[in-house]
Amino acid sequence: MKEKLQPFHIAILVYTTQAGIVVFTLPRQLADYFGTNGWLFLLVCYLLSAGNIGLIALVYKLGGGRPIFEILEQSLPKLILYPVYVSLASVWLMFGCMIGKKYILLFQMISFPTTNPMFFKLAVDVLIYLLLAKGIYTISKAATLFFWMTIWMSLLLLWFFPSFRWERLTPFLLQGGHDQIKGGIELYSAYLGYELSILFFPYIDKRKKAMLAIQLGNTLLTLNYLSLSLICFGFFSWGQLKKLIYPLLDLLAYIQLPFIERLENLLYGFFLFLILITVVMYWWAAEVTVMRIFPRIKKKGLTITLITVSYCISFIPKTLDEVVSWITNLGYVTIGIAFGLPIVLILVLLIQRQGRESRA
Amino acid sequence: MRRMLAIVVVICLLAGCESDERILEQMALVQTSAYDLLENNKIRVLSSIPVIEPDSDVQRQLLTAENDSIKEARLIFSRETDLTVVSGQMRNTLFGISIAKAGLARYIDTLLRDPSIALGVKVTVVNGGAGELLSKNYKSHLDTGRYIDHLLEKEASVNSIPKATLYEFSRDYNDDGVDPVAPMVKDAGEKATIDGIALFNKDRYVMRIPARNGLIFALMKNNLKQGEIALNMGEVEGRKLVVMFSSLLSKRKVKVHHLEGERFSADIHVNVRGSILEYTGQEDLTDTDQRKKLEEDIAAHVTARAEKMIQDMQRNKVDSLGIGQYVRNSLSYKRWKATEWKDVYPRVKINCRVKVKIKDYGKYI
Repeated sequence: MKEKLQPFHIAILVYTTQAGIVVFTLPRQLADYFGTNGWLFLLVCYLLSAGNIGLIALVYKLGGGRPIFEILEQSLPKLILYPVYVSLASVWLMFGCMIGKKYILLFQMISFPTTNPMFFKLAVDVLIYLLLAKGIYTISKAATLFFWMTIWMSLLLLWFFPSFRWERLTPFLLQGGHDQIKGGIELYSAYLGYELSILFFPYIDKRKKAMLAIQLGNTLLTLNYLSLSLICFGFFSWGQLKKLIYPLLDLLAYIQLPFIERLENLLYGFFLFLILITVVMYWWAAEVTVMRIFPRIKKKGLTITLITVSYCISFIPKTLDEVVSWITNLGYVTIGIAFGLPIVLILVLLIQRQGRESRA
Repeated sequence: MRRMLAIVVVICLLAGCESDERILEQMALVQTSAYDLLENNKIRVLSSIPVIEPDSDVQRQLLTAENDSIKEARLIFSRETDLTVVSGQMRNTLFGISIAKAGLARYIDTLLRDPSIALGVKVTVVNGGAGELLSKNYKSHLDTGRYIDHLLEKEASVNSIPKATLYEFSRDYNDDGVDPVAPMVKDAGEKATIDGIALFNKDRYVMRIPARNGLIFALMKNNLKQGEIALNMGEVEGRKLVVMFSSLLSKRKVKVHHLEGERFSADIHVNVRGSILEYTGQEDLTDTDQRKKLEEDIAAHVTARAEKMIQDMQRNKVDSLGIGQYVRNSLSYKRWKATEWKDVYPRVKINCRVKVKIKDYGKYI
């Protein structure tokens, strides 16, 4: 029998998929778009994502744990579905690809600024291939390992306590921001990743706990984001935070130990683990979707093809700004998918149920 | 086949980084940079680089350039040395008084933009020419840059000067309720000394707090966990009465009151605890009542000095203590935005309420 994902692993997998590149800019975006005490917006994001996960749980319940493709194919013709699958797969593939590229461009800002970024991208893609080739069960095991290798970094926030001042937070709630709708969508992409759990259905064992695990992963992520943002709002002044493009990098660079300085180069490397899982999961989702169109295709060949395609696409945007705008636009679509897909599935399931009842 | 492929990939990847190769012996790691504004509005940059060759007599190399921007200087330095000049190990930036008066914001911005420069780089004002101070050789110290760096670090650890790095400076500069501060050093012939604290109005240097008042300033600004001050409390029978108050621990609280017509008053409550290390007066420290009286005397003395210092600051419109943060936090966002804080600040009635507790008085009666 195929091994199933345990709730603990699901929680970790969801958390590591969600934790990605946005964390570097998150506190600044909160301060910039939502103004004073912008970190409160994280709570809104949390409620929305928790609601979205609720929808996914509903799909699971109504569908009795059937894979989503089965549900769709039962009611909709393949002529309609296949283009949808192709679009889903391409969005997920490119989203993952751009996240990887952004990490590398950021990495290059700190070290190796003139080396061709595509060399690093290739190295990272090889790692991703190795993970992807092993399948979801091994990915979740690796995610658990990566989780323990990175979660300790939250303790580094203690370093900033002595310089933290509540006065800097100000008593003003969400004042002085701008473009809140655009900012809200951009910030919400920091939570993306949980929506892929809709593809976990065939791999889950225990019903209730699995959905709870997804919620727990999302909650852990929120707590992490909240603590980071709160520290940023009290450590930096509001005006300063708005000017720091990557506040997390500045935080890391501020840590000095008696025997070593400029730790950020080292610490930044640890984030690769989180990014790897994020990218791997998006590509895995793309792969699973394409597999549905070509069920007889060799998995290995498909993996290599997908990675090659995405590698070629990642040549297109050259600068950080270009990558950011790709991510933003793809983020809009991914958010649409995150909410749209479960809603469509619920509608299909309800129609199917009605059909069954009327037949009975 | 697979192994071959792996080897080829690895070779390709390794070769890719060649342009970013860094060999320590070929690097000039700038440790301290000094910036001065010249009369023709150009900037003179002087950087001190430690020499790491083991058989060299000199400990440091100085590079200097006059031009329009501080980053451009690095390109000029490059032409003068066989090493690659990098700023990743920078510890301290010295700004001459001329440049500090003209405003530091754009230089701080430039430094912050560079990803190789961390937020922990010190910002220091030199009372005089920064380049002159850094290029001077002090007899007992081989490397002036490092000497000043250590001096600042040690003094900041006992709170006689504030800690000022790019982080603190830019944090306070970008905060609408507080002005930045930086320690001030000067050349004193045989040695370099702490000259006090430089107070800024936004990014422009405006006034100096003398070194002897450094701890009083710190008491009014922060909670302290360390500190030492000698208080000259007048004369008794022709002899100076000196109290050396040491191992200070203090807590500060600020309360803001709204008065009629856009006016505010602020109370700075400071609770200090510490040990007496030296006392040249007549009181008997073992006697509780007399000790209490001394505590009150010390509190009154500190209050008087602090209030005078604050009046000076108000006259110069520098809110280095961050009273504005507390006023801001007591108002609504709209009202704060409508308040021209710099105009209101000089009229704020600021009271210091100092309480002193003598923890112990040494091991001799």
